[in-house]
Amino acid sequence: MPDCSATYETEVEEGQNKRVVKCKFCSSIILTPTTAAFSTFEYDLPVMKPNKDSTSPPETENISYFWAVKDMFTFFNVGFSNTVGNTKYLTCADCEAGPIGYHDITSKMSYVALPRVSHSDPV
Amino acid sequence: MAKKTYDLLFKLLLIGDSGVGKTCILFRFSDDAFTTTFISTIGIDFKIKTIELRGKKIKLQIWDTAGQERFHTITTSYYRGAMGIMLVYDITTEKSFENIVKWLRNIDEHANEDVEKMILGNKCDMDDKRTVKKERGELIAKEHGIRFMETSAKSNINIDRAFRELAEAILDKTAGREPGDSVDRVMKITLESANRISGNMSVQSVLTQNKCLPPS
Repeated sequence: MPDCSATYETEVEEGQNKRVVKCKFCSSIILTPTTAAFSTFEYDLPVMKPNKDSTSPPETENISYFWAVKDMFTFFNVGFSNTVGNTKYLTCADCEAGPIGYHDITSKMSYVALPRVSHSDPV
Repeated sequence: MAKKTYDLLFKLLLIGDSGVGKTCILFRFSDDAFTTTFISTIGIDFKIKTIELRGKKIKLQIWDTAGQERFHTITTSYYRGAMGIMLVYDITTEKSFENIVKWLRNIDEHANEDVEKMILGNKCDMDDKRTVKKERGELIAKEHGIRFMETSAKSNINIDRAFRELAEAILDKTAGREPGDSVDRVMKITLESANRISGNMSVQSVLTQNKCLPPS
């Protein structure tokens, strides 16, 4: 489970992601270093639950730390879900774990939830 | 201003009959432990993948028809801006192979004339149920001067290779153009993709989304 009390200070350098942002499960690269802006706000993102029961409406989790991406083609690898309302949800492009964040159709901004990804030094 | 993280952007499409495994080529869904009910219910619209070819960082934006082919509604708007098309048939379904010719005609009518094509005979992990010989796939590809490969989305055979080869073929074409030309095209595509995703889709209409079930 994501550790919501984690501080992400060490991941931020000059307001951007210092390290590679990867999928927690398969290590697929989502963002390369210094391509996204650290931003804090509250958002209820549907939980990443194993493919078993389908409760409707989806259970959500309040997230407050994000990597903000202006141009979707900044992503190294990512999947965009179909549109629900004004939102597209982001997934890992390789193992489809998600939602790891969301894309807002109106503002065209994408936000990756920090607790839903892992960070590591470039190899 | 954020720095540009890529050199080229290629928009690719997956085309073919329903049930040939297009969705599985792009989106694995299925019994993957990490796929949540939430994501597989909504369905994935497109993926962005980065590959490196000849020292160039290339972004692939890969779209699936999302079932449009069932209603014969694949039109110019879907093909617009596409630089590469994966034409997929199922080696266990004769009809899907016969329809490749029909899809080729559809592409000729609606897509950009210099779109790069590749034929994929999918489900090659199901050799015991094969009805379309590999030679037939090779022959039809040769007749139309297109690349060919047999793939298995389920066993992950040749999928990455197919996308790399298609991208490479597009790169070969792009390289022959004036530099300004390709930049224009990339920008145009970015705009169009942005327009496309602003189109809305209700949850209901995607609830019927196919899942990639393992062969029974």
